[in-house]
Amino acid sequence: MALARDKTPAPRIVAVSPDDGSAIDLRNPALAAALAWAVPGLGHLYQGRVFKGRLFMGAILGTFLAGMWLGGGKVVYASWKPGDTRWAFVCQAGAGIVTLPAVVQALQLHGVAKQPLLGSMFMAPPLVAGQYVSRGYADRLASADPDIDAEDFFDRPPLRQFRGEQVSHWQRRLGRWFDIGTLYTMLAGMLNILVIYDAWAGPLGTPTDADRKSRTTPKT
Amino acid sequence: MIPFLATIPILPILLATLVDRVPGIFFGLPLVALASLVFAATHHEDPAEIRFATVHWAVWLGGILGLVIAAVLLLGWFA
Repeated sequence: MALARDKTPAPRIVAVSPDDGSAIDLRNPALAAALAWAVPGLGHLYQGRVFKGRLFMGAILGTFLAGMWLGGGKVVYASWKPGDTRWAFVCQAGAGIVTLPAVVQALQLHGVAKQPLLGSMFMAPPLVAGQYVSRGYADRLASADPDIDAEDFFDRPPLRQFRGEQVSHWQRRLGRWFDIGTLYTMLAGMLNILVIYDAWAGPLGTPTDADRKSRTTPKT
Repeated sequence: MIPFLATIPILPILLATLVDRVPGIFFGLPLVALASLVFAATHHEDPAEIRFATVHWAVWLGGILGLVIAAVLLLGWFA
């Protein structure tokens, strides 16, 4: 006798809306949370919560990009070298895959290549005193960065060794904009943590008994 | 005299003085708006409730931060 297949549908994971008590279908909450980290608001779009998805996407990505622009593109980078540990990146990383290039650039610069990917300065960490880089990257910096020239490197064949502190060049050139850009990008990343939670578990506010009663009791 | 005094826009003058003394306030306002929006949107689901709660949060955040800044300015004035 053939075994009857279990046709019980998989249980739906839902949250309760604090506004009208309706159910919010969270679909796969873990996937929604991962999508919400990757691109702010994408998790909500996956769940069909289009208004909030577009709202979060616009607000958080907009703030992150505004911070990048205000900071001259220099405020998002990953660095864990003693003397230049970029703690701000821990908060900025909450904004999702837009911050991944910073990790790639840091691994490339500190790794065997001794230069960021393709020699690009985009989200590349600043050089610190005594840091070794490839000749190609040193030449590129000397030609493209107005604060750096060839005399800022010691010749250590086959590499070059930097003499200064690149982050102080950036801060001198950008002034308060470096800090403002850093603040914007950090806040975008930190607020996305709340968005990730909302995608995973629904709205934070839960209706109280008084709220439910006021909705159902007719006003006289 | 009193009718003349009543025409002076005191609040805009105070705000302009504050913004002039603390330039960061100007660039902090969008961040207060962003935080209010995200707090409101993560506590509600209905668009109308989100809009109302955003204003609610903005008043609270702006008020609390304003008090802190005012206290810091006063302390700096007397120091």
